[in-house]
Amino acid sequence: MALVGGRGCSKIRGSQIRELLDSKHNVLFDCDGVIWNGETVVTGAPEVVTLLKQQGKKVFFVTNNCTRPRANYVTKFARLGFTDVGEEEIFSSAYCSAAYLRDVAKVQGKVYVIGCQGVVKELMEAGVPIVDEEAEGAQTGTIYDYPLDPDVKAVLVGYDEKFNFIKLAKACCYLQNPECLFLATDPDPWHPLRGGRITPGSGSLTAAVETASSRVATVIGKPSRFMFECIASQFEGLDPGRSLMVGDRLETDILFGAKCGMDTMLTLTGVSTMEEARGYMDSHDPDSGDFVPDYVVESIADFIEAYEEKEEREEEQG
Amino acid sequence: MAVSKCTRLTGPLIKQLLDSVDNVLFDCDGVIWRGDQAIPGAVGVINLLRKNGKRVFFVTNNSSKTRKMYAEKMSLLGFDAKEEEVFGTAYCLAMYLKTIIKLEGKVYLIGNNAMKQELENVGIQQTGSGPDLIFGTPSDWANVPLDPEVKAVVVGFDWDFSYMKLNRAMQYLSNPDIVFVGTNTDTRLPLEGGKAIPGTGCIVKSVETAAQRQAQTVGKPSRFMFHCVASQFGLDGARCLMVGDRLDTDILLGSNCGLKTLLTLTGVSTLADAEAHQKSGAPERLGMVPDYYVESIADLLPALQG
Repeated sequence: MALVGGRGCSKIRGSQIRELLDSKHNVLFDCDGVIWNGETVVTGAPEVVTLLKQQGKKVFFVTNNCTRPRANYVTKFARLGFTDVGEEEIFSSAYCSAAYLRDVAKVQGKVYVIGCQGVVKELMEAGVPIVDEEAEGAQTGTIYDYPLDPDVKAVLVGYDEKFNFIKLAKACCYLQNPECLFLATDPDPWHPLRGGRITPGSGSLTAAVETASSRVATVIGKPSRFMFECIASQFEGLDPGRSLMVGDRLETDILFGAKCGMDTMLTLTGVSTMEEARGYMDSHDPDSGDFVPDYVVESIADFIEAYEEKEEREEEQG
Repeated sequence: MAVSKCTRLTGPLIKQLLDSVDNVLFDCDGVIWRGDQAIPGAVGVINLLRKNGKRVFFVTNNSSKTRKMYAEKMSLLGFDAKEEEVFGTAYCLAMYLKTIIKLEGKVYLIGNNAMKQELENVGIQQTGSGPDLIFGTPSDWANVPLDPEVKAVVVGFDWDFSYMKLNRAMQYLSNPDIVFVGTNTDTRLPLEGGKAIPGTGCIVKSVETAAQRQAQTVGKPSRFMFHCVASQFGLDGARCLMVGDRLDTDILLGSNCGLKTLLTLTGVSTLADAEAHQKSGAPERLGMVPDYYVESIADLLPALQG
């Protein structure tokens, strides 16, 4: 059966998946809602990753979740049964933000960070100097007398469970200088936890800083292209035409894939639904096409079936 | 009256304008005071307007004082003002919940003591005000206990705004039956001494983003601010003058409600801003073009004294 291409929201399985994967060198996976949900692995996900690598594919993990440094992600992968995932294959928005500041913006000076330990650690790992809040005892000051560090050349906003008004005010002050860069790790307004629960995301904090400063942040995370460019800078010859982006959120993963020129696949184990995907497909809005996945699967575990079918057929023929 | 707009108010025009209105509504910050300093001449203007038989009201988006606190500040600065003449957003929001929403139940409040007091004054209980620090794990945050009596989430200026407050508001707002109201959307709040800090608009935007819902807003340019004054004092919009320093709040409110509008240049907006709106010809910007402008409200003194 011929593969239906184009942004058509095609539900595929079995040999159709295999045909698609045979045409790709690289598979990029989102994490939350795709390979795991919180601390629960999506059944079959570890086997899928191993299978793809056995088939000679490069596998990358591209996540907007900036709450852990890469080393922690490696531990999580191991804990959830993945046996062969290395740090170099993991691209989080925190890691990519640090890489951007160091390698693309080449910031000469300090970064004022609104972010959790996951963000701070990636900056420190990358050797990007940050404002040391604790050293200044800055949290105890009031709005009238907190010191501003004259070396700050960039503000980075990420997920921060300790976000408060003073941090917002400080960021706003630094951003009065138009030369000061304004970056955000990711645009997600909320993050999903297990069981359909959510918590406020980086996007809701960035919105506060943007409103206060009347400036728009440069967003590193999906759907912006920067994370793909970060991967491509480390893995030469990464061809988007030979890459498949697999995600669960139309507005981040699928749009990201489309913007980077990749084929896109929606898996239904996370946030977005088939109805939502069809909604974008049926929309008259000219921009909505990029939100429509090329392909849809119930779960990435369907990849296993695709290769099992191939093996069975080969056995019959052999 | 005037067909043309953005006219400099001088000479006989001043008396003409004042004769055509019975009530003058003033914004506060940047119009009659800056921080804790009265604009020179402002006290005289207001006293003389009253002497000339005009009613005077004060309409401000600032949510951090009750009407009583405003009256006290005015008194300190030499303005002779009664509580009933002052309409701040803490008071107006409480009135909005009471008279328009007819709220039965509690409010989850991201706000300040003034808002808490104004809510109590109309018999509405609140939960949430004060510091709220993070504790536990993300799972704890996603599962914070929600008070079943809460029927509205209200957002105003809050020094104690934190991730935890944002989280609680977001959790409440996942119930579409819960009403979502903000005091105002000003992005910056002027402080005593001329500094400015992030305004309530930032907090509202943050909650709107997390909750993926839009807040109703009580403050200028929403018509409710005028409605609140007009309904209590029986005002006819056509006989009212709105005096303000911000085109997108004060002047727009005036235009929306059919008032005459006067821009004073002692605050945020400039003449160039006004002329840009006028030249644009865009329908959504025309409401921000004032009928008249003055350098300062002190410019009204000669006509009032004469």
